[in-house]
Amino acid sequence: MSEPLVLGIETSCDETAIGIVRGRTLLANEIASSVEEHARFGGVVPEIASRAHLEVILPSIERAVKDAKISLKDLDAIAVTAGPGLVGALLVGTSSASGLAQGLGIPLYGVNHLAAHISVDYLTHDLPTDPTIALLVSGGHSSLLQVDDITGSITKLGATMDDAAGEAFDKIARILDLGFPGGPAIDRDARNGDPSAIDFPRGLTMKSDWQTRPYDFSFSGLKTAVARYIEQTPSHIRADVAASFQEAVVDVLLLKALAACEASGIDSLVIAGGVAANSRLREVATERCAKAGVRLRIPSPALCTDNGAMVAALGSLMLSAGRPATQGAFDADSSLQVERVSLA
Amino acid sequence: MTISLAIDTSTSRTVVGLLDGEKVLFEKNSEGATDHGRAVSDLVAQTLIYNPAPDQVVVGMGPGPFTGLRVGIAFARTFALSRGIPVIGVCSLDAIETGKNDYTVAIDARRKEIYWARYEGGKRVEGPSVNKPDEVSDFIIDLYPNVISLIKLAEEQSVSEPFYLRRPDAVPTAERS
Repeated sequence: MSEPLVLGIETSCDETAIGIVRGRTLLANEIASSVEEHARFGGVVPEIASRAHLEVILPSIERAVKDAKISLKDLDAIAVTAGPGLVGALLVGTSSASGLAQGLGIPLYGVNHLAAHISVDYLTHDLPTDPTIALLVSGGHSSLLQVDDITGSITKLGATMDDAAGEAFDKIARILDLGFPGGPAIDRDARNGDPSAIDFPRGLTMKSDWQTRPYDFSFSGLKTAVARYIEQTPSHIRADVAASFQEAVVDVLLLKALAACEASGIDSLVIAGGVAANSRLREVATERCAKAGVRLRIPSPALCTDNGAMVAALGSLMLSAGRPATQGAFDADSSLQVERVSLA
Repeated sequence: MTISLAIDTSTSRTVVGLLDGEKVLFEKNSEGATDHGRAVSDLVAQTLIYNPAPDQVVVGMGPGPFTGLRVGIAFARTFALSRGIPVIGVCSLDAIETGKNDYTVAIDARRKEIYWARYEGGKRVEGPSVNKPDEVSDFIIDLYPNVISLIKLAEEQSVSEPFYLRRPDAVPTAERS
């Protein structure tokens, strides 16, 4: 078989996204977001997201097929995010994927959203990235992983104990009146601020933490510290607060990711997920990885946030690796663990 | 005759059928209010093994509990797209057979409410609406959409959006106290 042609569907949160890849070549990446409908609620409303998915998924598939200049009948497989995510939102994707796969008579891969985030990096690099340490940071997840084989062997080294990194950005942006989503807003505002202006706490970096939970994260203390600082400092400079908060997040993420590289002897780091689009994280990661002799890979910002290309990419890798497709009917799994790369 | 694939997930029962005109070639249901995703996919797969390929898909557009309802609609739409055949949406309450001409049917809408519609001479004259049971008089509940009725309705209806009848639960940040 020539390189597999795979269509990927992602609907785990507020993005209805369709991607089409041939092998490692990206042919289409169609994204419709309902983020503006959620903005006035200060966060994603599951029912609004689900309704939006159903409304736009069919036209999105049609546009992606047109962009890729293929016909649906050419497809070798369908891949879909089976979890983790909002269950009602996921179900629109899995049902749509199942309808396509059955209609076309081709295999369906129900894949893990988190593994897909990491696998999107395979679209931008020709070389294999296994084994690698992966830092996965988004609005819903913050995990540090060891990836020995992206199609089947992922080990969780640590995860956040409370808020996800992206969630912390959203909450601080709300306190600073910077709007939703908070990530891009803080990134922009922080460019005019001094990252060393305020020394905010780095969660779980005490000596005892390094012994007991070296690869876990905690952002709730940081959030409280920022809120208290603003309350107690009426004359605070917003850009300095944004920059210093962002610096604390970036610092702790990279401290732990590079510690994992050192401890495992793996000199490769992939940073993925929506927060990987943050310009300061990309900048500091580049500096520190160069210094540590670690090969850094970060997908382009457009492929960091939720997209369908990453799901298609993982499906394509699974097919090429000879991994079994998901057999028969399956349910979306809102709390799918990262160790389960696919529902086989 | 037209071969139709009928799908309805508006109630706790997943209804799937394959019909030649109004003649049922295959029909299978699955019970379970949170099992529509698995059930639709499973039942349609069984349908496709034994029978001729459908020329059209007919799907119940509710009203019904949202998450399950969307499963049937999403599946029906992409299946039809992949086969290059039309998908026709119909009102699920209209497909409930009561054996009467003048009646009110209802299904569970959760939160102690019902989705209902009133019929006279077999035609819908009121609804679909969502209310508390004591606001609706004399309704028949615990019946499910019927595949033959779904197919018949497709000749006269074409519903493009789901009957949600309720707005999403959410309070804008500015209105929170």
